[in-house]
Amino acid sequence: MIAKRTLAAAAAITAVALALAGCSAGGGETEDGDVEMTLWHNSTTGPGKEFWDQTAAAFSEENPGVTIKVQVVQNEELDGKLQTALNSGDAPDLFLQRGGGKLAAMVAAGQIKDITDAISDTAVEEIPDTTLVNLRVGDKLYGMPIAVLPGGMFYSQDLFDAAGITETPKTIDEMSAAVEALKTSGVEPIALGGKNAWPAAHWYYFFALRACSPDTMATAAEEMDFSDECWLDAAENLADFAATEPFNQGFLTTEAQQGAGSSAGLIANHLAGMELMGAWNPGVIAGLTPDEKPLPDLAWFPFPEVPGGEGEPGSILGGIDGYSCYVDAPDECVDFLNYLATSEVQAAYYDAFDAPPVNTVAQESVTEPYLLQIIEAYNEAPFVSQWLDTIYGLNVGNALNVAVVDMLAGNSGPEQLVDAVNAAAAKG
Amino acid sequence: MTATALITTTPPDEPLLTPGRRHKEKLPWGSPVVYFVALVVIAVILVPVAYIILGGFRTNAQITSDPSGLPSPWNFENYLDVLAGSMFWRQVLNSAIAALSTTAGAVILGLMASYVLARYRFRGRGALYAMFAAGLMFPITVAITPLYIVVRDLGLMNSLPGIILPQIAFALPTTIIILVPFLKAIPDEIEEAAFIDGASRLGFFWRMVIPLALPGVITTGILAFIGSWNSYLLPLFILNNEATYTLPLGVQAFSSQYSVDTARVLAFTSLSMIPALVFFSLFERRIVGGLTGAVKG
Amino acid sequence: MSVRENSLTESDTSAELARRGGGDTTVSSPPVRRRRKGLGWAGRLEVAILVGPALLVFLGFVIFPVVAAAYYGFFRWQGYGPPTDFVGFNNYLLILQDPAFHAALSHNAFIVVMSLVLQGPAALLLALLLNRRMRGQSIIRVLIFVPYVIAEVVVGVGWSLMLQQRGALNGFLENVGLGGLEQDWLANPDIAIWTLMVIITWKYFGFAVILFLAGLQGIPEELSEAAAIDGASFWQTQWRITIPLLGPTLRIWAFLSIIGSLQLFDLVYIIWGQYVASTAGTSTMATYMVSEGRNSGNYGYGSAVAVVLFLISLVVALIYQRFVLRRDTAGALTGGKRR
Repeated sequence: MIAKRTLAAAAAITAVALALAGCSAGGGETEDGDVEMTLWHNSTTGPGKEFWDQTAAAFSEENPGVTIKVQVVQNEELDGKLQTALNSGDAPDLFLQRGGGKLAAMVAAGQIKDITDAISDTAVEEIPDTTLVNLRVGDKLYGMPIAVLPGGMFYSQDLFDAAGITETPKTIDEMSAAVEALKTSGVEPIALGGKNAWPAAHWYYFFALRACSPDTMATAAEEMDFSDECWLDAAENLADFAATEPFNQGFLTTEAQQGAGSSAGLIANHLAGMELMGAWNPGVIAGLTPDEKPLPDLAWFPFPEVPGGEGEPGSILGGIDGYSCYVDAPDECVDFLNYLATSEVQAAYYDAFDAPPVNTVAQESVTEPYLLQIIEAYNEAPFVSQWLDTIYGLNVGNALNVAVVDMLAGNSGPEQLVDAVNAAAAKG
Repeated sequence: MTATALITTTPPDEPLLTPGRRHKEKLPWGSPVVYFVALVVIAVILVPVAYIILGGFRTNAQITSDPSGLPSPWNFENYLDVLAGSMFWRQVLNSAIAALSTTAGAVILGLMASYVLARYRFRGRGALYAMFAAGLMFPITVAITPLYIVVRDLGLMNSLPGIILPQIAFALPTTIIILVPFLKAIPDEIEEAAFIDGASRLGFFWRMVIPLALPGVITTGILAFIGSWNSYLLPLFILNNEATYTLPLGVQAFSSQYSVDTARVLAFTSLSMIPALVFFSLFERRIVGGLTGAVKG
Repeated sequence: MSVRENSLTESDTSAELARRGGGDTTVSSPPVRRRRKGLGWAGRLEVAILVGPALLVFLGFVIFPVVAAAYYGFFRWQGYGPPTDFVGFNNYLLILQDPAFHAALSHNAFIVVMSLVLQGPAALLLALLLNRRMRGQSIIRVLIFVPYVIAEVVVGVGWSLMLQQRGALNGFLENVGLGGLEQDWLANPDIAIWTLMVIITWKYFGFAVILFLAGLQGIPEELSEAAAIDGASFWQTQWRITIPLLGPTLRIWAFLSIIGSLQLFDLVYIIWGQYVASTAGTSTMATYMVSEGRNSGNYGYGSAVAVVLFLISLVVALIYQRFVLRRDTAGALTGGKRR
């Protein structure tokens, strides 16, 4: 009868489904003592992706019996998927880590391996402590930094020359003048990937960096309190700047890094003059140029000063990219982290990503002028802050990013921006 | 929108055959106005579908230079790449397993429960029926956050049972609401005749009820299948690991990962439409006819 | 008419069945019925076996999560470990005060109304026109129904590529010389919600047509023939006879449309992502729930939003049942009314 056939079919299917369920993620020991680990990174294409595949393979060669399965996760989905994975106990062994409040939350949940004692001596020697501190919670180290990625203005020298801009802007007024010059010369002045929210929020972070004293910023991180006036000032400064319409058309739905229509793509194809971005940008831009090689006229200057603020001149926002081990990962995980920190692998990283490595020995092989400028600005900055959404964690960070986009879209004003951030602090 | 629950209490008296086909006579032509209107509507409806399908036959350069043009020359690489890769087929397999299991589970469990609700009498039957019916108010959208936690705590994350079981549960209200009237309509004389002939109540169930309720079973089965096949929110929360992705999840992941490659994304997207369309064209009469029967009266 | 549950006779049973079944189940008093007053021991076992699995799955994956959502909604909770930070109704207060939620709610209301307005009359018209036996009827119905069958994700990906700044629609407008009409269909807050309405209409129009056609087939042809004999024109017949008789179908469709509009998620999330929904003016309560809850790690708050969404749907459904559908069905949804 039909029912019996259906029943049998259902039983068979359920069996298959359960069998497939057995093939889930997660590393650990297999029967013969071999170790398999999973690694999640966010380089979807190009030399970056190759770097990870090659590095994982090279590590396996040097350590027989250890294999690393590499999985690419799109950058915008990484935070959400990682949180889901960590909370469900089915997490990758190695994953991208930026530190800040997000790391603190993971540590509080007991999800990260403590590597304070397992870090190699070479790594401690060759990586400055000021960089390592980004991945510390309390006194313990919870990950290995591999790139230092401060933010600043990337621009096209050719387009600047064509617009008649002879000197890079040092103040926000000079910036507005440059914006006008670029408009007259027929290109979009500033590329902005508003669709992903965080690129727009970076503008606010920098304005806040200029308006708020280092102490205020540190307090805000600890107590989630944004009542100081400087936060409102920063919002108003941004609103004033945005009123001059410096961003590309349709920036609200422009992606940051994906495709020729993204903000990075606009720079890569000489359709926009400048972009405020972290130091991973050269690599991203290189993947989007017509010939998929680095942009020859790419240059960099630090975010301009904004008069009237309490921030220290020369302060810089600098994220770091690092990798952490899941708390239940095998010990070989830490070996891989140490491997990543060696100067050879770091040099290969710099080669692939065109971004500043953290290893000081590897830094000596950096040649690009803009990268050297970035490293210099970073080392000389009186105050370095991490990206604000990293510091404040997923909840407040997200809300902050959304609030900035709301303001830039004209849906709300500076006061509402600060209100939204305070409201978010109450929800989580 | 999966709440295609058709609130009805009357069963169809004859299912499914569209007028004209049964009699095998030649249908008259309709008026030109009607055809014209229908043509316009269909053209408007199919343009986006055509865009997706044709887009897969172009290259990115073609798309960048003329976003709305036709393929010239026709480029089969994108489709071939997607079809040759293992990702697409694995997702099709995952979707198929999930949908078939959901359908089987929903139909079997739903049929058993509907039988009891329709033909037995006991205290609490009304409350039980109301509870299942009230389930229409809890779509997966509403329950997803705690549902994710339940699935996680059961250890079913990243696995197909983790989406199959909830999907069965959420398909039950629709199934039961559609099947109960069908089952109620089976005259008691048949049941009595079967008992007199020595069949047990369960035997009656297997041998007589199911064939008589077949139209309703097929309709609910199809609704459950389509609902599972197209479902996105639940897999989004539960399936983190690429190897377990179902097709909707895969389309979105593919489109964001390869967003540089618009043509390839269009090829992938249009291929993912095909199983649903094939399924629909096979069962079109049943689906539409089932709606007919359920809504009549 | 009261029903005394424990002492029904056979004829009362079938009468009750008939009443519940809407009145047209042909049930006559059977000669012998095994079950007399309530179920025996074996009967109860059968009930348990047959209903058990469905009940278990349903309780576990539907009822329990919703109850759990209500519980979690009283906490500030990040999702791992047990919830410990009890805040009472504070989450609900925050929701009701949040301008982003108000915006989402207003968008949902807009979508509810516009869905009914855009789809209803047009689909009705088309169904009336197509409601005749003619060649090609089957093909037409199939093609109209195609968008409904396609996954919302696929619809979202396809349409968002078409509507990009440098996408097919703007390209087409330029090609035919209407370049002046080019817009930022997705990001412009004034236009975005209309874009969403167009996409929703495109997807669900066919469902409405098919549903109405199905309902129309239940209306006897003799009625329109009689009207024609009496001299009524086609449109008069439709207006005075057919449409009123289509009432139950129309009301059911409207109900499904309203509930579906309140719970809209997939399309908006795919096309606009988790951030732009609020700036493009197309956020819905469901996208609000996901972006404030899961994506921000606020599982307690997200649960509270889910409860609010459920309550709104429930209230709307009950009101609709009570005032609109009351005439049609014998309490299918509020089933079990003891009369």
